[in-house]
Amino acid sequence: MEPLIGMGVLALMGAAATIAGASEDLESDVGSQSNPNSQVQLAPQMMYPHRIFNKAISGEPPSNALMAAVGGASASVLMGAYSMSVVFAIAVGALIAAGIHGTYATTAYLGRSASQKRFRQPIYLDMVRSHVPVMMGFAYITTFCILVVSYLMTSVLGHPFPLTLLAFIWGITVGAIGSSTGDVHYGAEREFQNVEFGSGLNAANSGNIVRKAECGLRNGIDNSWFCAKFGGPATGLAFGMTVFLSGWITTIFDPSLGANIGWLSIVVGLAIILILILWNRRLEVFARNQYGPYKEDEEVTA
Amino acid sequence: MIDIAGVLAANFLYVILITLGGVLVSGSVHFVPVGGAPAAMAQATGIGTGTVQLAAGAGLTGLVTAGAMLNLTDSMALILAAGMVGAMIMIGVTMIIGNLVYVYGVGVPPASAKVDYDPITKDRQDIYVSQGTEGHGIPTVSFVSGIIGGGLGGIGGALVYYSLMSIANGMASADFVGLAAIFAVGIFFVNAVIPSYNIGGTIEGFHDPKFKKWPKAVVTSLIVTFMCAIVSVITIGGL
Repeated sequence: MEPLIGMGVLALMGAAATIAGASEDLESDVGSQSNPNSQVQLAPQMMYPHRIFNKAISGEPPSNALMAAVGGASASVLMGAYSMSVVFAIAVGALIAAGIHGTYATTAYLGRSASQKRFRQPIYLDMVRSHVPVMMGFAYITTFCILVVSYLMTSVLGHPFPLTLLAFIWGITVGAIGSSTGDVHYGAEREFQNVEFGSGLNAANSGNIVRKAECGLRNGIDNSWFCAKFGGPATGLAFGMTVFLSGWITTIFDPSLGANIGWLSIVVGLAIILILILWNRRLEVFARNQYGPYKEDEEVTA
Repeated sequence: MIDIAGVLAANFLYVILITLGGVLVSGSVHFVPVGGAPAAMAQATGIGTGTVQLAAGAGLTGLVTAGAMLNLTDSMALILAAGMVGAMIMIGVTMIIGNLVYVYGVGVPPASAKVDYDPITKDRQDIYVSQGTEGHGIPTVSFVSGIIGGGLGGIGGALVYYSLMSIANGMASADFVGLAAIFAVGIFFVNAVIPSYNIGGTIEGFHDPKFKKWPKAVVTSLIVTFMCAIVSVITIGGL
C-alpha cells in the first residue's frame, strides 16, 4: 500500500477512535458506570438518597466489548449474507448494539434502585425516560466509531483478525482506557466537589457525594456536562493515541519491506514509550512544585 | 476421529510455548499499578481500574499489533516485539493521560503510600500523600513498573498467538486466524485473573510488598495454562 494512503487511513482511524473514547467516557458519566458508581451505590446507605443514574451493568471493558462485538457481528452478517453497503451495515450494527445497551441500562437502574428500598432510595421513572436515550446515543457513537476503526483495519490495512474480534478487542481497550482516565475526573472530582480542590479525598467522605446541581438536583446528565470539559476529551485523546501510535510505527516503517525496517518500527515504538516516561516525570515534578506537600517535612529513613 | 496423541506429539513444542506465554502474562500483571475503585476516587496510587480489565486492555492491544506483524513477517522475535510495543504504548498512554487527569482535573500530585522515597527518582513520597488516602496518581516508579508489565504481557499474549498460529491444521485461513485469536484472548484472560487473588484490588508496582507473592500466581498459571494449551492444541490441530 502507498504510505500516504496508509497514513490517511490511520489518521481517519485515529479521529474515529478519539470520538469513540470521548463518547465512551461521557456515556459512563451519564449512567454512572464502573468504579465511581461505587459511591453512587453507597450514598443511600449512608443516608444520602440522590437523583443520579445508578447503572454499572458491568465493568466498562466487558460492557463496551459486548456492544462492539454485537455491533461487529451484526455488521458482518449484513455485509456478508445480505451484501449490504458498509456504511449501512455499520450503522445498523451500532443501532442494534445501542438498543441492547439501553435494555441493560434500564434493567440495571431499576434493579439496583429497587434493591435499595430499605435505604429510602426512590426509583425515578422520569430519569429512565431522560437518561437512557442519552446513554443509547453515546453508546451508538462509540460502537459506530469502533466499527469504523475495525473495518478500516481489516479491509484497508489488511489486518488478519475478523471484524467482530477486532471490535471486541477495541471495545475492551476503550473501556479500560475510559475507566482509567476519564472516570477519575468523574469519581474523584465531580462526585466530590464539596471538598476543597486538590485536598485529596479522605476515605471518611465515602458516600457523601454532591447531590445538588448548578440548578435543582444533580443528575447524570449534569455530570456528563461537567466531564465533557476535561474527562471525556482526555479519554478520547488516550484511545486515539493508542490506536494511532500502535498503527503508525508499522505504517511508516513497513515490516513487509524487510526485517531491518521491522526492527526499526520496534525501536521507534520504544522511543515513543521513553518519551512518555519522560513526559510523566515532568508532569510529576510540575505537580509536586505547584501543589507542594500536604504535611510538614520530617526526615524519614529510607 | 481426532488422533489426540498424534496431534499433541506433533505440537508439543507449541504446548510448551503457549504455557510459557501464559506464565509471562500472569507474572506481568503484578507489575501493572492498579488501584481499582479507590484509585478512581484518588484514594489509592495506581490506575483507577480493575487488574484484569487493564491487563486485558493492554495485552489485547499487543495482540492486535502482533497479529498485524504476523501477517507481514515470519520472524518470531519481531512478532513478539510487536506485541510488546503495542501493549507498552497502550498502557503508557493510559497512564500519562490518567496522570494528567489526577494533576489537572483533581489537583493532587502523584505519590506512593507504600514507600517513603521513590526507588527510581529518590523523591520523598509520604508528605505528598493527602490525609485519609493510600496515595494517588502514578509516580515514576509505578509508571516504569506499568510499562514493564505491559511489555511482558504483550510478549506473553503474542507468544500464545504465534504458537497457536504455528499448529498445522485443515481449516480455512480466516477460520484459523479467528479461532487462534479467540483462544489467545481466552488464555490471556485466564492468566490476567489468576494474579488478582495476589493483588486483592490494589498494587503499586514492583516496589509494592504484594509483588513478592508472584511465585504463587506463576505456579498456578503454569498448571492452568498447560491444561488450556493442551485443549487449544487438540482443538486447532484436530480440525
